[in-house]
Amino acid sequence: MLTMTTLRAFNCDDLFKFNNINLDPLTETYGIPFYLQYLAHWPEYFIVAEAPGGELMGYIMGKAEGSVAREEWHGHVTALSVAPEFRRLGLAAKLMDMLEEISERKGGFFVDLFVRVSNQVAVNMYKQLGYSVYRTVIEYYSASNGEPDEDAYDMRKALSRDTEKKSIIPLPHPVRPEDIE
Amino acid sequence: MAARGHVQDPNDRRLRPIYDYLDNGNNKMAIQQADKLLKKHRDLHCAKVLKAIGLQRTGKQDEAFTLAQEVANLEPTDDNSLQALTILYREMHRPELVTKLYEAAVRKVPTSEEYHSHLFMAYARVGEYKKMQQAGMALYKIVPKNPYYFWSVMSLVMQAISAQDEKLSHTMFLPLAERMVEKMVKEEKIEAEAEVQLYFMILERLGKYVEALEVVRGQLGEKLTSELQSRENKCMLLYHQLKHWPECNALSCKLLLKNPDDWQFYLSYFDSLFHLIDQSWTPPEEGDHCTEGEVHCSVSQAISFVEERLAAEEAKESRPLRGPYLARLELIRRLRQRSCSEEQQLGEPLELMFQYFVKFGDKPCCITDLKVFLELLMPDQYVQFINRLTEAVPLGEAGEDDVALPGDTRALQRHLCVAQLGRCLGLQHALDTDGKLALIRELKIHYHHGLQFGKNCLKTELQFSDMYCLMAAHVYVDLWMETGNEQMLWQCLGLLEEGLSHSPSNAQFKLLLLLLFCRLGAFEPVVDLYSSLDAKHVQHDTIGQLFHRQCFFIQTRKMNRLNNSLHFAQVRTERMLLDLYLEADISSTLEESVKSMSLCPEEDDIPWDNIRDNRDLTVFVSWNPKDRQLNEEHRQRSVEEEALWLKIRSVTLRLVGCLSGLCHPPSVRNSEKTTENGVAAKPSTLQPLLSQMESTLSQAAQFTERHSQHQYPILGPPSTRLAQALASGSCQCQLSALQLPIHLQELEAAGLDQSAELQAQISNLFKSLTVQLQDTLNKCKGDLLEVKDGRCKAQPSLLENLVYFVETICVVLWVSNYCGSTLRPLKSSLQKKKKKKKDATAVTPVVLSGFQEFTSSLQSLLSQALEHIKGQESHLTALKMESLSLEGLSQTEEEGAFTKTVMDKVQSSYLRSLQEIGDLLRKRVDTLKSLKI
Repeated sequence: MLTMTTLRAFNCDDLFKFNNINLDPLTETYGIPFYLQYLAHWPEYFIVAEAPGGELMGYIMGKAEGSVAREEWHGHVTALSVAPEFRRLGLAAKLMDMLEEISERKGGFFVDLFVRVSNQVAVNMYKQLGYSVYRTVIEYYSASNGEPDEDAYDMRKALSRDTEKKSIIPLPHPVRPEDIE
Repeated sequence: MAARGHVQDPNDRRLRPIYDYLDNGNNKMAIQQADKLLKKHRDLHCAKVLKAIGLQRTGKQDEAFTLAQEVANLEPTDDNSLQALTILYREMHRPELVTKLYEAAVRKVPTSEEYHSHLFMAYARVGEYKKMQQAGMALYKIVPKNPYYFWSVMSLVMQAISAQDEKLSHTMFLPLAERMVEKMVKEEKIEAEAEVQLYFMILERLGKYVEALEVVRGQLGEKLTSELQSRENKCMLLYHQLKHWPECNALSCKLLLKNPDDWQFYLSYFDSLFHLIDQSWTPPEEGDHCTEGEVHCSVSQAISFVEERLAAEEAKESRPLRGPYLARLELIRRLRQRSCSEEQQLGEPLELMFQYFVKFGDKPCCITDLKVFLELLMPDQYVQFINRLTEAVPLGEAGEDDVALPGDTRALQRHLCVAQLGRCLGLQHALDTDGKLALIRELKIHYHHGLQFGKNCLKTELQFSDMYCLMAAHVYVDLWMETGNEQMLWQCLGLLEEGLSHSPSNAQFKLLLLLLFCRLGAFEPVVDLYSSLDAKHVQHDTIGQLFHRQCFFIQTRKMNRLNNSLHFAQVRTERMLLDLYLEADISSTLEESVKSMSLCPEEDDIPWDNIRDNRDLTVFVSWNPKDRQLNEEHRQRSVEEEALWLKIRSVTLRLVGCLSGLCHPPSVRNSEKTTENGVAAKPSTLQPLLSQMESTLSQAAQFTERHSQHQYPILGPPSTRLAQALASGSCQCQLSALQLPIHLQELEAAGLDQSAELQAQISNLFKSLTVQLQDTLNKCKGDLLEVKDGRCKAQPSLLENLVYFVETICVVLWVSNYCGSTLRPLKSSLQKKKKKKKDATAVTPVVLSGFQEFTSSLQSLLSQALEHIKGQESHLTALKMESLSLEGLSQTEEEGAFTKTVMDKVQSSYLRSLQEIGDLLRKRVDTLKSLKI
């Protein structure tokens, strides 16, 4: 990998300069309270990469959730995006690696994420990083402009605590958004 | 909804249907069901609250509130009522009432952990930090759990952060918080990582860096595990604060050995190194250099350190990391700053950058990496450097058009990088017009050729060659700015449209199109483009402002409320002004309109001292050389300009608000004494506001004069409407108009008999206002868009001036309405007197005839304006874009088609603006009738 960046905790001011990353058709921009909620609860899971010239290159935002007793305690990737000019550097992989490492330390069983079925670039990247499709969530992404809603893949990667890799055995049937916890 | 408590409770069973109705949005049924239940069980308080929720949700706020207070006054202690009331108060936006509720509950059930914690959270929602602290301690006394104790500590820190008096924070809140944590540390009761984090935060705020360092490096620091490298990062921060350069250096070294690609540690390594050199620091004779290990304290050590990192990369099988290569350049830069001759040991920058390009030139980030170090080249090396790089780009044989092209995307990226570097070095700017046109041609060939590599790209992906297109657009803009040749602008717009057709998600194309359309005053395409950017939430604040210029007749989008944002204040002010221009005295009276937007002229609610500039001025990709880039001076000047403009607009708005307070419907005016009914308090705000306007306008005039020669870079902030509004004369004209009421109030007090001088003065003001309005209108005349010699020329400033004229007319008409309402009773009482005296020969008082003259001048001004608009409309409609010749434009037919599309868009946008302005003016003409006295 050749990321060559400064990786640091995301802070509130970054919200005012992450346009070059978020002006991407597949990157969602949420309301400020949503980001603040992540900054408040899971600051360790919100990491931004900065180039030597000060440009924001990309960021990852995630959280830890699920029941430990049911072996569902896991890390979740809520957002991962890299600005166009900093793609093809392995930055996304680096950020994912960090999120997995944090989840390992928290004793998570796996890491999961949702991705648009159509977003082949991302799906392939996650596969390369060791993720597999655990289940399909029907019409998870609602479309605004009259186009049909889009399905999501729920992709997972087992962490070392899940020695038998039970958490990633694919479900035989797709599920609906209301059925996921 | 609310938790339902224990299943066994019969009340729960009774309430269940109401909950269900509320959950399903069936509020009416919920109310009915609650009423039914209350008939049988009068004491079932929760049913009342649920009914209140139903009422609240059906818009009956007052009823809901009364009902809720009935229950609240009983100080309920059952879960159901408490939780339902909490929900209701939240929906009413009255979180402070929740605190009262749980204060009472806690009083009645002092041992309830649950109620105490609800009380704590209720205080948190309203920011009552002191009460939070007490509630936290009360809770800890009932249930000695660590989190409760630390809630209390955190509340102290919040008090420290929010305290106006910094001294109080440092002498009281923070030391108290520190002691509270220390107590737990001594008793070895620290459990969670968050507790250590909080301790660290307190010490850091107190400036107790030594103590903080002890915590991080000690046993407690072992708890800091969730963040990666949490301890190391915190130590580094503290070493910097404490100027512990040996430790800082040694730790950076260690971290770089672990990860030779983390830029921040190179920076701290170099920082600490040079501090150590400056201090002539030497390591101790024996033992460790410092607690963090080995320290580098000489240039030669640093050079070998960087070279070792490089050697490690070179030896690797896998692709090398970029960090060490850039670190070498960074070290050269720092050595050069210190005029340190040892830099030569690291090599010649040109050669090193060339090598970097050979290794990483096929990465899109190569340009951002190298851009930072271009200053290491001497100006006479620029051409040599670019030539050297060009030789290293694998291109095929030159085709018919004499341009050699890349065979794959890697070669394309390399070639593109050279072009980007050339632009950064100013080589493109140095070309003459023909040179630039040739460059554009070449870039376009590369752009079109590169499209083949992205045939399979999804709509959401960018094309590999998009940046060529953007760069060609930039060169067009350069030409346009330099030569004033508008053809360059039109072709640029056409090219960007073409780019967008191949790469519909390219935000940079859209941003530049937006910027240029705004410059042209063509807002129809702006709306579509902006919505296709899919900007949301905070992005409106950071990007939106760049385009919210002059969007007078375009619906402003609903903006995210970022309270202290400059942009937010601007949008809100403009929105209110726009509503008034469009509606006041047309669909409702000015007074009603002002009232409905709860505008309070006495109050300036813009937080001038804390206003924040949230614009993201870096959103545009640019490869301009440093001296042409946006700098801090531009940014500051732009903020100053924006604030001035906002001030003018907000004072205008408040003046109009004031004016509306002066206007009375005739019936009220006759039946009540105007000087005593409280409204008379208003004029006292009018005069100070007028003075404020006067001084702001003179400040603004000075500002524009001072900066008239200094434009912002085109990819920087757009200028506000300030300069043009001043030049159009509209601001001055509005001020003159708004001064009239003061004089009319004097006249009202003096009466018509004893006021010849005052009347003459007012008449003269009417006359001069007419002249000013005519001047402003004259500045609108001319063709918005014309085709001459097969070339298209736009004059957007005429449209802008027309908008100022209309805004001014609106203000003048409101003032006239007030004048009319003041003069009318004076006239009628005069006529009564006349009748009594049967004196028909008496002359009409000067002020009355003056006003009549004035209104008829207004009539003719409006007709003139409408005539002009009608003329422009038919002129625009008749314009045949087809007649434009494309000769000499070196455009292909396809390119020409895109350019024409752009022209059509501008034409149609102008037409629509004219129609909307015309519609408004016609409605305003109708209000003239009511000015008869």
